[in-house]
Amino acid sequence: MMLSKPLAFLKKDFLTEISYRFAFFLQFGGIFFSVVMFYFVSELIGDAPNVQRSLSEYGGNYFSFVLIGIAFSNFLAVGLGSFSSVIRSEQMIGTLEAMLVTPTRLPTVVLSSSQWSFAFTSLRVGVYLLLGGLFFGVNFGDANILPALVALVLTVIAFSSLGIISASFVMIFKRGDPIAWALSTSSTLIGGVYYPISILPDWLQSVSYFFPITYSLRAIRLSLLQGAGFDDVGGDLLALVVFSIITIPVSLVIFRYAVARAKKVGTLAYY
Amino acid sequence: MADVVLQTINLTKEFTKRKGLSSPRHFFDKVTFTAVRDVDLTVERGEIFGLLGPNGAGKTTLTKMLCTLMLPSGGSATINGYDIVRQQNQVKRSIALISSEERSFYWRLTGRENLKFFAALYGLSGRAARSRIDEVLELIGMAAAADRRFQEYSTGMKQRMALARGLLADPEIFFMDEPTKGLDPVATRQLHDFIRDELVRQGKTVVLATHHLAEAEQVCDRIGIMSNGEMKACGCVSDLVGEASLIEYFHLLIEESRLEQ
Repeated sequence: MMLSKPLAFLKKDFLTEISYRFAFFLQFGGIFFSVVMFYFVSELIGDAPNVQRSLSEYGGNYFSFVLIGIAFSNFLAVGLGSFSSVIRSEQMIGTLEAMLVTPTRLPTVVLSSSQWSFAFTSLRVGVYLLLGGLFFGVNFGDANILPALVALVLTVIAFSSLGIISASFVMIFKRGDPIAWALSTSSTLIGGVYYPISILPDWLQSVSYFFPITYSLRAIRLSLLQGAGFDDVGGDLLALVVFSIITIPVSLVIFRYAVARAKKVGTLAYY
Repeated sequence: MADVVLQTINLTKEFTKRKGLSSPRHFFDKVTFTAVRDVDLTVERGEIFGLLGPNGAGKTTLTKMLCTLMLPSGGSATINGYDIVRQQNQVKRSIALISSEERSFYWRLTGRENLKFFAALYGLSGRAARSRIDEVLELIGMAAAADRRFQEYSTGMKQRMALARGLLADPEIFFMDEPTKGLDPVATRQLHDFIRDELVRQGKTVVLATHHLAEAEQVCDRIGIMSNGEMKACGCVSDLVGEASLIEYFHLLIEESRLEQ
């Protein structure tokens, strides 16, 4: 019974998604071309000594490094953007008020509506890893799955708390959410998605330690590519836990304020 | 003593906004607009109450406050004995909101899939949900079309689905915000008949917001006439018609409202 509402959202979003069959399958085509493109970039720069040196911590192969970077940074995009886009989308479709007049709280609506995005992103990440492993020679033979999964869960929680803050902006300002934009661009720039943070200037490296993606990608790469265990990535996991402990209560307080304000000024369903 | 299901005391809603670019010298000054002002209202169980007024009278704002979608700025209101601010979840269990908004459904899903989704939000699942959905679809005459995509429905069918959604949780009070907007005369009459015959038979209370005087006269037991956020008159249709010319009064209010705007 407790899960019936989240399951109903998941089913509704799945049915809606597959009703656009062409777009559904096209997304997987996009993954294939992205993987191929980075494979050739990797072929171009792969043997350069400075590349080997910078990536030695992760096994020295650029393609393996960037594959995990682009695959798992999808969670960054979803965590940051899905909550706000769910609110905006339901406001625009016109279904938000219809949902809120039922005995279902807004946080339930927002969290449940984002499930599909996370589920679909997990599928996309699986496709990235499968393509890399099966067709492009990425070696996951030594992968230590459990620490990687824990890192993934903590990553989703950390990014989601930031996403909830972002959704609060959409609730009040409707458009022009600065949180998602700033975090997404700076995380991609200095979080180690396409290149290791070791190549950044020292001061920028210091800044990158304030971003959860730095710890997420490091822990996931080390676990999947080097077989690192909890002892090796414990520091990264701890950083993600601390980050979440700080941001989750803050995000919930901000979100509650945003909902109360939208109800007060009467703009809950406006877009 | 009458069984009161809806009561408002001095219920008020003000909106405040900055003057902004409309008055650059006073950019940060605030202006306040009162959409609903000191509304006192009592509706009894089983009654069909009409909220009648021209566009912009405050009917929708009042309805939204009573449905917990908007917080009042002042006053208080109870639905089924529950406070609309402090006991929102209990209020939501007592009500259904049926508006003329076609876009409150998922158009890519079928009618039945939509109802299954909303049934879950009302706490219905599994066999209970399926059987209730079949029941309401039968009741509103949409059983045969239930498995067609919502986007394929006519306006009348979409409105019937809105009614079906409202019936799912078997609430005490139905708020209907201009439910016949966009409907042809036949569909309008069917909806009126449904309200008068079926909902009254089930002992439901209906609060119907409309700007059609004829609709209010035909369907409602009592009418509250709103203009510029205020409840100008309230009473039985027969009393209001008897005391003065309701039509004349209503038209006077529309004129007054236009002049003030």
